[in-house]
Amino acid sequence: MEQKKIHKVFIDGPINPGFIGEAIAKHSDKKNIGAHSIFLGQVRNDRIGENEVAAIEYTAYREMAEELFIEIREDAFKNFPIICMHIYHSLGRVNAGEISLFVFTSAIHRKDAIDACEAIVERIKKEVPVWGKEIFTNENSQWKINT
Amino acid sequence: MGINVLLFGQVADITGKDILKIPVVKNTNELNQLLEKTYPALKSIKYSIAVNKKVIQENTALHNEDTVAILPPFSGG
Repeated sequence: MEQKKIHKVFIDGPINPGFIGEAIAKHSDKKNIGAHSIFLGQVRNDRIGENEVAAIEYTAYREMAEELFIEIREDAFKNFPIICMHIYHSLGRVNAGEISLFVFTSAIHRKDAIDACEAIVERIKKEVPVWGKEIFTNENSQWKINT
Repeated sequence: MGINVLLFGQVADITGKDILKIPVVKNTNELNQLLEKTYPALKSIKYSIAVNKKVIQENTALHNEDTVAILPPFSGG
């Protein structure tokens, strides 16, 4: 079964837009798919006082995160009639304007793809042990807090 | 012999370490007390605790060779 194929979620550094294009192209032979939903998280240049975020440095509790990604994946297939799904998350430094999270769901109809994608993104933000340290343009830093 | 304590993010900054090996304590409450006594700055931040990669909600018994992770609020994505 296609949906059992599990790739590595963590990517060193930013997620390349070309890689996202290739991921879409790989689905052209799955002709039962009628809808893809894609979420891309991009590092924002937040201003905090005088400082501006230049990059986020991501670290994770990898072993626990990888188990959770498998659980999130299994639950997504259980809860939504999707055909396939992929998650990629950056580790290490990602500059403002670059992509750090890529969630990609495919289904027969749009609503299932969209709902699954949203549920997966929410769970990643809430449950997966990943931490982002905001690096400012003056090289100071602070730990980011998800809102 | 002992418990492996993994420290991440802000917690690793406070302790200056990312792993601690400590003698066996009975449960996670005792571990908490020990950590907050050694690193009082931990009292001022929020964190959750995972025992063998599962986040716990209440006091949990610990055994030799368990791995406990101290997890500050997540900020992935």
